Amino acid sequence: MIEIGGLRFSYDEGDFSLEIPELKVAHGETVAIVGPSGSGKTTLLNLIAGTAVPQSGQVTTNGYEISRQHDAARRDFRITNIGMVFQEFELLEYLNVLDNILLPYRINRTLQLDASVRARAEAIAERVGIGDKLSRYADQLSQGEKQRVAVIRALVVQPPLLLADEPTGNLDPLNKDRVLDILLQYATDNAATLITVTHDHDILHRFQRVIDFKDFYAHGAEQFAEDIAGPM
Amino acid sequence: MNLLTTLASVLIVAACTQDEQASEDTEALPDPPRVYTVNYPLAYFAERIAGETVNVVLPIPPDVDPALWSPDAETIADYQQADLILLNGAGYAGWLQRATLSQSRLVDTSAALADQLILADDSVTHSHGPGGDHSHQGTAFTSWLDMQFAAGQARAVFDALVRLRPENELDYRERLHELENDLDELDSRLKVVAERIGDQPLVFSHPVFQYLIRAYELDGRSVHWEPDETPGDGQWRELFELLGARHATWMIWEDEPLPETVSRLEGMGIQSLVFRPCGNRPATGDFMRVMQENVAALEQAFPASAS
Amino acid sequence: MRDVLYLAWRYLVYHRLKTAILVTSIMLIIYLPIGLNVVVEQSATQLTARAGATPLLVGAKGSPLELTLNSLYFSPEYPELIDYSAATMVADSGLADAIPLYVRFRSRSHPIVGTSLDYFSFHDLSFAAGRPMALLGECVVGATVAESLGVKPGDAVISSSETVFDLAGVYPLKMKVAGVLARTFTPDDDAIFVDVKTAWIIEGLGHGHQDLARPEAAPRVLSRSEENIVANASVVQYNEITEDNVDSFHFHGDLAGYPLTAVLAVPRDEKSGVILRGRYTDDDATSQIVRPVTVIDELLDTILTIQQFIIAAVIIAGSATIATAALVFMLSLRLRQREIDTMLKIGGSRARVASMLLAEVVIVVILSSSLAAVLTLLTWRFGPGIIESFVLT
Repeated sequence: MIEIGGLRFSYDEGDFSLEIPELKVAHGETVAIVGPSGSGKTTLLNLIAGTAVPQSGQVTTNGYEISRQHDAARRDFRITNIGMVFQEFELLEYLNVLDNILLPYRINRTLQLDASVRARAEAIAERVGIGDKLSRYADQLSQGEKQRVAVIRALVVQPPLLLADEPTGNLDPLNKDRVLDILLQYATDNAATLITVTHDHDILHRFQRVIDFKDFYAHGAEQFAEDIAGPM
Repeated sequence: MNLLTTLASVLIVAACTQDEQASEDTEALPDPPRVYTVNYPLAYFAERIAGETVNVVLPIPPDVDPALWSPDAETIADYQQADLILLNGAGYAGWLQRATLSQSRLVDTSAALADQLILADDSVTHSHGPGGDHSHQGTAFTSWLDMQFAAGQARAVFDALVRLRPENELDYRERLHELENDLDELDSRLKVVAERIGDQPLVFSHPVFQYLIRAYELDGRSVHWEPDETPGDGQWRELFELLGARHATWMIWEDEPLPETVSRLEGMGIQSLVFRPCGNRPATGDFMRVMQENVAALEQAFPASAS
Repeated sequence: MRDVLYLAWRYLVYHRLKTAILVTSIMLIIYLPIGLNVVVEQSATQLTARAGATPLLVGAKGSPLELTLNSLYFSPEYPELIDYSAATMVADSGLADAIPLYVRFRSRSHPIVGTSLDYFSFHDLSFAAGRPMALLGECVVGATVAESLGVKPGDAVISSSETVFDLAGVYPLKMKVAGVLARTFTPDDDAIFVDVKTAWIIEGLGHGHQDLARPEAAPRVLSRSEENIVANASVVQYNEITEDNVDSFHFHGDLAGYPLTAVLAVPRDEKSGVILRGRYTDDDATSQIVRPVTVIDELLDTILTIQQFIIAAVIIAGSATIATAALVFMLSLRLRQREIDTMLKIGGSRARVASMLLAEVVIVVILSSSLAAVLTLLTWRFGPGIIESFVLT
């Protein structure tokens, strides 16, 4: 699913840079990525998603050399192939639950919103236990409910790849498990790849593979390895 | 399709306009104009001069004195519909002060003769009959008893009618002349009989003969009697005071008096004759006929052979 | 397109207060100059039409505007009075027809116009019910008066006292409604027309010999009147002309000296009008003759100038409002950066996201414009009437 080779990436500002000589993730694999803060885990997700472009090297996602494409193509690819889940949920406050779930279909013309999509969204919502809250707004939901909504937003497109950046970071233990269950169940049911960045070592056992970012040398990472929470 | 509808509508409109014009043409001859008057003499003059070409209306009930008449609002509304309203002038119709009429349709037939109006100085207030309280104040208004004055009013009527129907001017003029001749004849006869009366004192039953008295130089004074009422003691007293030094031999009544009154007067040496002012339409005859009867009565009372 | 609009719409609805404020402000700056223009245009048209229908006015020397407003629009302020002989003079000149006007008294808020029968034929007024006034004490009411007082022929209206403590002056007079005029959409609708002689009776210049007070009738009648005179009926009295007492009504002295507020002169032709006007140019003449058209044109010029000032002010205020709205929009973009980033992160196209933000602006502008259009329509329909009642009461 993912093939990275000879990757070099750095931001325009600041000292940070990332080097990944080689990384491969198979279709249907569930991967957890751990590592110190600032080591570039989120950056890696961005590179896989095509939100960022490396200075050299190539990133191939689902057979598509995303690192070579221009912005619009990357977006179109991203929205149909990748579902993304964030630590802070990132729901739109002015849309209700259902509209939040259906958001991807509205913001890119490569996806068409129709009755079957709606039906699917409602079905998933029902399955994860928020089927009765479709007309509520974000401020009327608990943390766990919010994240479930965000997850469904990622799943509703039926992407072959899920990228989750600290999905359980803001949840209590019960909801942590719930959310993980949904993600992993989806991966299993759809032979989809799941890559999760996490700080939480308690959940690592649920993933097939764990990648430790310590293995990838990043410039300045030695300094950061000694800091507990160094600013980026 | 559009062209067809446009064409059709144009034709329809043209047809309608034709109809309108047709009906307008038939309407080009309007009904005769309505001429309202405030008393009968004016109505008579208008009828004499304009004949069938106008519709002369005198809406006053025949048993009411037009000088005292007060129309109700509906009757005044009828007057408003008139094309011409002939007024007597001299304050004749007091109700005009209380009515709303279009100024442009009013014609005061004695306007040109304003300097000849007589001011009445008799301010006794008295009550009688259905007319109720009234007094004779301001101007005397039975102006047509002076035949020359009447002719003047007739000429004013003529002018107003010509303004209304200018196309009939010649016709009206001819008829005016006939009327003037008739009035002249009356005038002459009255002058003759007045000559015969000389300075004999006369008594008039009611102060409505001022113009007659002045025009024909009669020595006449008035009491305030009504022909159909028996005079009371006060009224007899009034008569005695009036007779005073110069005893009149004739009482001239505005209408047929009661026989008892006549005999009582005869007992005093006063005879009675009737000279009808004819303010309202008479039961029989017309204005000219009534005036001729009046003059005849005078001529009979003062025959030629009397000194 | 639908999706973009949907998202934009949802945003606006969620922040409805902010949206309402924006829409209202923009609507106002669009509407104010337009609405003002509509009102001024319509009023100007009406004023000019009414003035154009009245060729000449004769009145006492003084403000031509006051004379015109009182004679044409029956404003409560009336000019110096002239004598009735002024009307006779005009009529006798042979140059014009004279219609007397005595517009001084009111019945509640409705002006009582003392005039002659010719007023109706001159203005081509037709009757919806009844007939013109015939007898002293009768009146004809305009369509609006009939509606607001709920009167028809046979009912009565009562004039109002000029001042609260009018002990020896203007008496309330109970007038019988003889007719109701058809609606004309002019000030005639709001007026009560009487013969000028009836107006003189109201003033007390003419009277009848009968009891003025009808204590038993007064309370019932006056309770309908809103006048602020003491509600105790034994103090307030009114005059009434009935069939029984009408004959006793009379006027003392020469009517030529009785008062009018104006004479409406209708010249026979243009030349007669010019000659007639020439007769009033003498500097020590106590009366003047005005052409309402000229007076109203001057008034409209003034109004136009004021209007231009107002529009300039609105433009300045409007520019400030637009600038503020732009600022609000930019600030809210800043605040929404995270939301925008999210949409972009999950794969939203830049074009769509930008369109969505733009659509919010467009929707606000369309809403404001539509509301402004609706308000303009309402103004066009009702504005002049409201303005007139403000100006004339």
